[in-house]
Amino acid sequence: MTDASATSTASTFPAAGGRQPSAVSVIVPVTDRPHDLAWLYRTFSAELVAAGRPFEFVFVVEPWARSHVEVLEPLVASGEPIRVLEVGQTVGEAALLDAAASTCSSPIVATLPAYPRVQPGALEELVVKVEEGADLASAVRVSQGASVVNRIQNRLFHAVLGRMGGRGFRDVASGVRAMRRSILEDLPLYGDFFRFLPLMARREGFIVVEHDAAQHPEDQRARVYAPGVYLRRLIDLLGLFFILRFTHKPLRFFGLVGSLFALGGGVILAVLFAQRVGGRGIADRPLLLLGTLLLVLGVQAIAMGLIGEIIVHLSASHRRTYRLRPDSE
Amino acid sequence: MMNEESNVVPLVDAVRDALAGRSSWELILVDDGSQDRTREVVSSIAREDPRVRLVPLARNYGQSTAMQAGFDSARGDVVVTMDGDLQNDPRDIPMLLETLAEGYDLVAGFRIRRQDRFVTRKIPSWIANRIIRWITGVSIRDNGCSLKAYRRELLSRMRLYSEMHRFIPAVAAGTAGARITEVGVRHHPRTRGESKYGLSRIFRVLADLMSIKMIRSFRVRPLVLFAGLAAAATALGALSVGVSIVAITRFNPMDAASLVFPSISLLWFALALFLMMLGLVGEVAIHQHRRQGLKILPLMQVRYRK
Repeated sequence: MTDASATSTASTFPAAGGRQPSAVSVIVPVTDRPHDLAWLYRTFSAELVAAGRPFEFVFVVEPWARSHVEVLEPLVASGEPIRVLEVGQTVGEAALLDAAASTCSSPIVATLPAYPRVQPGALEELVVKVEEGADLASAVRVSQGASVVNRIQNRLFHAVLGRMGGRGFRDVASGVRAMRRSILEDLPLYGDFFRFLPLMARREGFIVVEHDAAQHPEDQRARVYAPGVYLRRLIDLLGLFFILRFTHKPLRFFGLVGSLFALGGGVILAVLFAQRVGGRGIADRPLLLLGTLLLVLGVQAIAMGLIGEIIVHLSASHRRTYRLRPDSE
Repeated sequence: MMNEESNVVPLVDAVRDALAGRSSWELILVDDGSQDRTREVVSSIAREDPRVRLVPLARNYGQSTAMQAGFDSARGDVVVTMDGDLQNDPRDIPMLLETLAEGYDLVAGFRIRRQDRFVTRKIPSWIANRIIRWITGVSIRDNGCSLKAYRRELLSRMRLYSEMHRFIPAVAAGTAGARITEVGVRHHPRTRGESKYGLSRIFRVLADLMSIKMIRSFRVRPLVLFAGLAAAATALGALSVGVSIVAITRFNPMDAASLVFPSISLLWFALALFLMMLGLVGEVAIHQHRRQGLKILPLMQVRYRK
């Protein structure tokens, strides 16, 4: 495995103006459909070099993608500020990012997908946004020639997202972002929630801006995914909805679902009971089975919620559950 | 305080007047993610008067968390809470303090001649107070009144989260063994700013109450609760088995009647099993919590009343 020495801000180019630009660590999680990574490095780092910004690139790969980072070896050997990290198992983008971020020491961290989604200039623009005061700047891909299929998918995704509490975002999943490193320390990254990082960050009171960036031609081709991918996105959204709404009060959710079931079951059983009292036999009625089933489901859901409450209580009883505005601390 | 910029200055003045002559006090204003200029107004006052302090939350967390943030930064031996909308009267604070000194951990105000809308505020509140009393067993006339005085030791034994602020006395008595009393306090109609309550709270209040009740009774042994429920489900299952036997012996085994009841008993037994497993999950959670060296039950010093 190619693992460069851990120099974090290796560029030696002097700043153009009087003020030294902040150093940035660019993390590239190498997951699906990686592009030529040497090309990616040269193209995107050129803009940072032009701005006189100290930087490093951190490529982090899962074991299966090791072959993709071999092209970086000559660059590392020639002293370019590149680190290549590998995790021990297939863990997904969020975990890769989290692992890589923990090794960075630059004040600003940027994330870049392993294939070009925006024109290279966007990266520097996003970093400048963070320098100007944003906590997180996320690229919004804009283009004239984007395929209708992609545009419809994007619209649909954001329409659903808006309903679930993420109103106001235009391209939450572009993956090209710059942020203060402290954000990653404050936000738990796991599963596919990385996709919603701007939304989670805004919810936690960080200043999040979206910045228009010209979409890269490579990214403009129409993409239709396997049905499983859409299902995964839908599950992500549901999970997000639950996390945003009910993390601190699981019983509100499970209690509502459970009460509805139990109420339905209760009404059915009550009607049957009334009929039985009225002299009509009910033993051969499938409705009796349905009523009992609903009641049982209801009790199960409520019991789930109660367990959730115990877990929340245990974790909240010794931990600060809020964050103060950073300027006050 | 959330979006209370018009109330900040009158509030600070009222508190200053009420506490004039007392040697040491501080006023902590928690900004719960206001979108207006509340934060700026408070911090400009705080710059001039060191007794006024701003605790700015990063976003809107809700009243419970805002209160907890205030408790965390409070330095006094006694902490008094009140709303930021001036519906409570700071002139009642000295009376609360005197009552607290009689040997209580928590003195809760109840609003005499409450100045709110009858249908949308008073009636739901009356019902809620009844239900709270019935479920928690803690008899408090007015759970919605924010004006309360707490002893510091009590606050260090409890943490507010979610929307527990509605049931502080119940939480305090239930999980922290607080001695509680009530005193009548003044209540004014809202003159500035907007009210942030709505009518659709009953279900949420009920869900929260259930969770408090459960945490209070079973946080040490959740399996006891779930095993109890499982026993009830098993009993219902056994009853169905009995009915099934009767049905099978009396009817043709191929009749629907001889199928429905066995299925129902299976459902109940499955529920019992499920509940037992959930109870075990709860035990695991508590075990993990203990393994991390964290306490579940707060300990307190026994104080004897004078």
